[in-house]
Amino acid sequence: MTVDLYYYHNVVIMLGEFEYLILTAATRLGEDAYGAAIRREVENATGSACSIGALYTTLDRLEAKGFIKTWMGDATPQRGGRAKRMVQVTANGVRAATEFYAAVTQVSQGVSWTTSRGKTR
Amino acid sequence: MITRIFWRLVDISSGMLDSAEREAVRGDLSESGGTGSQALREVLGLVIRRQAALWADWRPWLSLVSVVVPLGMLLSIISRSTADLSSVYIWMYADNLDWDLLVSRGFWYEFAHCIPIVFMLYLTLVCWAWTAGFVVAYVSRRVIQANRFLFCLMLLFGVLLAAPKYLEYYGHYVPRALGLPFVPNLNAPVFAQAFYRVILPLIVQAVLVAAPSLWGMRWGAKATRLRPLVRLIACIVAAATLASMVIQEPGFWLFLRAYWRPGIWQGWQMHLLQFVVYWPVMYLVAAAIRRRRYRKAVLA
Repeated sequence: MTVDLYYYHNVVIMLGEFEYLILTAATRLGEDAYGAAIRREVENATGSACSIGALYTTLDRLEAKGFIKTWMGDATPQRGGRAKRMVQVTANGVRAATEFYAAVTQVSQGVSWTTSRGKTR
Repeated sequence: MITRIFWRLVDISSGMLDSAEREAVRGDLSESGGTGSQALREVLGLVIRRQAALWADWRPWLSLVSVVVPLGMLLSIISRSTADLSSVYIWMYADNLDWDLLVSRGFWYEFAHCIPIVFMLYLTLVCWAWTAGFVVAYVSRRVIQANRFLFCLMLLFGVLLAAPKYLEYYGHYVPRALGLPFVPNLNAPVFAQAFYRVILPLIVQAVLVAAPSLWGMRWGAKATRLRPLVRLIACIVAAATLASMVIQEPGFWLFLRAYWRPGIWQGWQMHLLQFVVYWPVMYLVAAAIRRRRYRKAVLA
């Protein structure tokens, strides 16, 4: 049922840009994708702070859309013996992120910041 | 010291998250190695987002308007009336104690008569408050953390502002509107003292209403684990207890114009209701016995 979640009446339901960032970070991290690691990836990529509130509510939203799967992992000593919320991107998530990237790439073609970086018309 | 306070606040506020999320978030915070104030900001941000998402639904609003606010107000009025009534007895003995009276048999006879009255007044109030907390938690399990806070806020508002205003209105304006003769307040010297007018009602509200309500909420939140039949009985008894609370409120009878109906307090239904009110005592005793039996069975 979740396969067509981002197609409804032939209208593409796009990902939000923050959702895309999280999906991309989680995919890059692979088996090591969990809350704090994804947060670090997003912060490194954007150069701005990513709050735990934004991260966890977005993870819930992505899970509800069927784009990721989460589960509680093992506890580790460097986390004070507390468990991690592990994240895995699903096939639907990969498809949604691919389409988002394709749409952004397509719509960006020929605009000033992609052709001549730093120049404006 | 301040860092420890911040981390303690992080512990308290993360209690509003569900257990798995709390575990993951506290782990993430430990791993990121931020300060206590940063951790607190992060956790509060998540808690606010979670609560806001829950309150986007209509059900929490319904439980707030139909249960939390009316029960908070009603309890505040009854608690204030109870505090005022017990003030007179306490004033009589605490402020007017004459050591010569201690040898009088009449003094002890009267004292033995007053103590059970005040005790039963307080016990009844505790049972009503416990039941109110139980019901609030049962009907709003998902937003119980927010409702716990809102209920306490309601009790504070009730005891400081709403209940005194309501009782003043009830005592002064309603008899006048009904054309009843003016009766001066014979207990005015008691309430001339700030302790009986302000402090005692606050103590009664905190100790006999707020604390039992919070205790009842803990049990109400767990009530879904009860067997269906036990849950049904608990719901019926809780509803009867709340009904008895409503009809004890002075304005209710005035509203129905039934206050002077002869024999209304002597019916068997009233006696049964007054007995049912003490159900929290029986419920807690039964739960303790059950827990003890279960522990014995596990150890055996």
